[in-house]
Amino acid sequence: MKLVGVDVGSTTVKAVVVADGKAGWQDYQRHNTRQAEKVVEFLGRMEAEAGLTPGRDRVFFTGSGAGFLAPLVGGKLIQEVVAVAACVERLHPDVRFVSEIGGEDMKTIFFTATGTGKTKQVYMQSACSGGTGTFIEKTARKLQVPGERLAAMPYEGMSLHKVSSKCGIFAETDANTLVKTGVPVDEIIASLFEAVVYQNLATLTKGNTPLPEVLLLGGPNLFFKGLQEAWRHHLAKLWAQRKVELPDGREPASLINVPTEALYYACLGCVEIGQGEKPEVGVYQGADKLKWWVEVGQHEAKAKEGARGLIAGASDLATFVSEYVRPAPAPPERAPHVGSVLIGCDFGSTTAKAVVLSDDRELLFSCYALSKGNPIEDAQSLFHQVREAGFTDVGALALTGYGKDLLKDVLGADVGVVETVAHATAALHFYPDADVICDVGGTDVKIMILRQGTVADFRLNSQCSSGNGAFLQGVAERYDIPLERYADRAFEAKAMPSLTMGCGVFLQSDIVNQQRKGWSAEEIMAALAAVLPVNVWIYAGQLQNLRAAGRKFVLQGGTHRNMAVVKAQVDFIRGKVPDAEVVLHPYSGEAGAIGAALCAGDRKQQGKASGFRGFDAIAALTYTTTTAAETVCKWCPINCTRTFIDVQLPGAKGRAWSKVPLAEGWERVISGNSCPKGLVEDVNEMRVVKAKLEEVKREYPNVAEMVRKDAFRRVGAGAVAR
Amino acid sequence: MGLFTALGVDPRNVVFSSDTSEEQGRQFGKGRGTVDCCYPVKCISGHYGELLFGQKQKLDILFSPMIYTLPSFMSGHVARTLTCPRVMAAPENIKAGFVKERDVFAEAGIAYAAPFVSLDEPRLVPKQLFEGMRDVLPGLAREEMARAVDAGYKALFDFNDRLRRKSREVLEWCAREDRPCLLVLARPYHMDPGIGHEIEVDLQAYGYPVLWVQYAPVDDDLMAWAFGDDIRAGITKSAFDIHDVWPSSYSSNTNEILWGAKFAARIPWIACVIRLSSYECGMDQPTYTPTQQIIERSGTLFFSFQDLDSTKPAGSVKIRVETITHYLQKYAADIIAKKKAAAPAGCPLGVATA
Repeated sequence: MKLVGVDVGSTTVKAVVVADGKAGWQDYQRHNTRQAEKVVEFLGRMEAEAGLTPGRDRVFFTGSGAGFLAPLVGGKLIQEVVAVAACVERLHPDVRFVSEIGGEDMKTIFFTATGTGKTKQVYMQSACSGGTGTFIEKTARKLQVPGERLAAMPYEGMSLHKVSSKCGIFAETDANTLVKTGVPVDEIIASLFEAVVYQNLATLTKGNTPLPEVLLLGGPNLFFKGLQEAWRHHLAKLWAQRKVELPDGREPASLINVPTEALYYACLGCVEIGQGEKPEVGVYQGADKLKWWVEVGQHEAKAKEGARGLIAGASDLATFVSEYVRPAPAPPERAPHVGSVLIGCDFGSTTAKAVVLSDDRELLFSCYALSKGNPIEDAQSLFHQVREAGFTDVGALALTGYGKDLLKDVLGADVGVVETVAHATAALHFYPDADVICDVGGTDVKIMILRQGTVADFRLNSQCSSGNGAFLQGVAERYDIPLERYADRAFEAKAMPSLTMGCGVFLQSDIVNQQRKGWSAEEIMAALAAVLPVNVWIYAGQLQNLRAAGRKFVLQGGTHRNMAVVKAQVDFIRGKVPDAEVVLHPYSGEAGAIGAALCAGDRKQQGKASGFRGFDAIAALTYTTTTAAETVCKWCPINCTRTFIDVQLPGAKGRAWSKVPLAEGWERVISGNSCPKGLVEDVNEMRVVKAKLEEVKREYPNVAEMVRKDAFRRVGAGAVAR
Repeated sequence: MGLFTALGVDPRNVVFSSDTSEEQGRQFGKGRGTVDCCYPVKCISGHYGELLFGQKQKLDILFSPMIYTLPSFMSGHVARTLTCPRVMAAPENIKAGFVKERDVFAEAGIAYAAPFVSLDEPRLVPKQLFEGMRDVLPGLAREEMARAVDAGYKALFDFNDRLRRKSREVLEWCAREDRPCLLVLARPYHMDPGIGHEIEVDLQAYGYPVLWVQYAPVDDDLMAWAFGDDIRAGITKSAFDIHDVWPSSYSSNTNEILWGAKFAARIPWIACVIRLSSYECGMDQPTYTPTQQIIERSGTLFFSFQDLDSTKPAGSVKIRVETITHYLQKYAADIIAKKKAAAPAGCPLGVATA
């Protein structure tokens, strides 16, 4: 009789055949989300290559994907941590701590000797990618590091950089930033190993100290040499710090082992436990039922679990279209505008936009420029277009977006408006009774909650891809469907799969999974539009209670040009707030620039003259750019390679104290920094800024600062009482 | 300091753990964590670790009192002045992470003292501290501790008075200049840069003085002016009575936050209130709506930063701060004028009100 252990994990399937207490046939392969298919394949091979026989041999399953597969072939399911622990106990009686890292999960097991035997303490997490194999591989893929090279990359001796250990997506962003600033790939990977070990120690030890001997299991621990080094480094340090006595003066490194069978411990543990089961348990029934499920059953399941489509029928669509779908406003035929105008510019991370309003706040013109990374050039392009359109007399200019602080002086803008205020002003202009603004752009999600005519609360999420427009666009592109056709196609779907809210990484594999079940392109696109509001409000926005936020919702931002998204938003919001009024901002994409222009209007009304430098001056801006060792940001170890864009501006003070000195009559704009700190050139400028700040603080005191200074002063009681 | 110097400890021999920081937690608290969702409580592991492992000076005693009640300016006007039970029990909770496997205190040669103290019942405190400290301070006499406790209270009250005087000066300046200031409603630990992330400092940098409710000026004349009408109308019994807005007034810090909301609503120059609270704070959650409503009903701006934890979300704080300052610039003068018009006559801050 043979015993088989099968481990169906999140990324691979592993199996071992044991005959007469000896492991024989074994293999592991990636299943690329086709877990059942891979198991069928493995069972077939075991029958052919290892003599696995239905009715005689027994199979035991473990792993996150094994639950519904095991009964289909007569197998018995064994909890994975129990399996791993059983195997470790048999093979390694001296092991006190085990770390098993999988593709999408991680576990730790602590063994503590007690008088009569051993107790086990197990910790596990599988909800988030931090600390798992995917965490490393996702970023490595982005950095185009091939698997073999990744496996051999070291940890020891590398300089480490700060990489978020909590979330795979944040880590990837951090890694991108590091790459941009020229950090070698080896150092980034070493930092990822560091982050994984840190995350495991931080979240899965819960006050226990991992004691020798230590066993490292699972694919990532086995394959990545650097990860092993990181474990050895950290555990040795921890042991020294906590004065852990090592057996017989052995070297710490020799107490941390990665067995060659590290991948198969769960399988072997299954067999170990299976042996103790009654003989009728787990008898292999052949793979026929499982084959049926792969070919037929899962598709039948599709029909059952599907939700209705985005629209509930022709009348639902007709109502929606009559309420929300407006033909694009044709540019009105008008005589050339006479008199002064208000200009608002929105310098975003990917595009720069400008709008021109009349003094009566009527939209006269709008234009945009794709950002080329130099804000001066972007501005020149915008103002060139504005002038070409025939506007010459600028009454007031306001800027918003990331570029507002950089360009305010250079362009002579009258106001710099923070994004939230710009968006709120634009929405309130059209809908004075708005309660909530939901702005979904290409790369970020903003939710603004208005009270008393102010933005009382807002949620911004620009680091998570779930819920933003770029993700929808990516999927549409994969299906080769132009974005303009997205809504029409999605409305065709009569049913759709339900996708899981949350992390974009997991959403991607969910889509693959649904496709496999036979859902078509339009059905998946409908589902994606349907899950977007959930991601926007609940996942990215962390807003559970929409009713508390208000009842009038304004949708704006480029992604709301997609009517499938609007439909899903309307249904979602009305589902939460039955009496909600949901409106679509007439100028979805330009709301930021319009809001800025309105703020410019407020300022003009106060009777202040504009400081606008003029079209000629902007077109003729003379500037030089410097990217050199002296411009590298030294505020943190990321060392951004910044660019100093120096612009000739009459009256500018220059920067005599700078390492890249600037004569009077020149103004410096810093770009290429990845955080606000980098806008301050160096210690010299910091001193100037700090001195100014200290002066402000002296004039406008903060009680907490006095508390901080005085409460912990180490002086006698008499002096304190002074 | 008042207590220890009176006990004869050289001030140079009293060491405070430094401000909370992520570094501190990483370096000294890693793996010592205990199961607690309260971020400020979690931080204490790092503080203990720093005192145990991170000192040049050899320490003899780690003092981390379990504070049961707080001496509040609202004592006697509210049901109780209890601390948050999580914070009170935190020393025991955190200690567990250091003695679970081996007694780290014994190994470092540091005695651990976590006396249970009811600071709002001064007559109990000498006994409590004597019982709690006699083992770590051999030869300690009861009378000695009683004198030290007196000195400690004196130092505390002097400190509080000094800061309240400062706060009053700020308000008088605002009244004289007709300029706005901000009031922070938060728990005391939000003054720690690692927990409150100095969000109020970013606002201060735009030229707004910042008051904290813990050190609000509570002089009789000001209280009579701000709350006199309520008392005469029979709505409340005293200036510090909050039963009209918060019937279950047992938690000291919560009481002060609710009172702070009423205070802010009545002081014209507090044009804006900033609310800070930490991730998933169960004590704060029920107070969000009442504080917001009290403050907004008076026309005062209200902004809240919730769910603060280990990292300062610098980008989003910057946008928030700019948003707040925009509306302050736009509306502060109107808010002050409107609140002045609604306030009773005879403002003791040195200006005429309606």
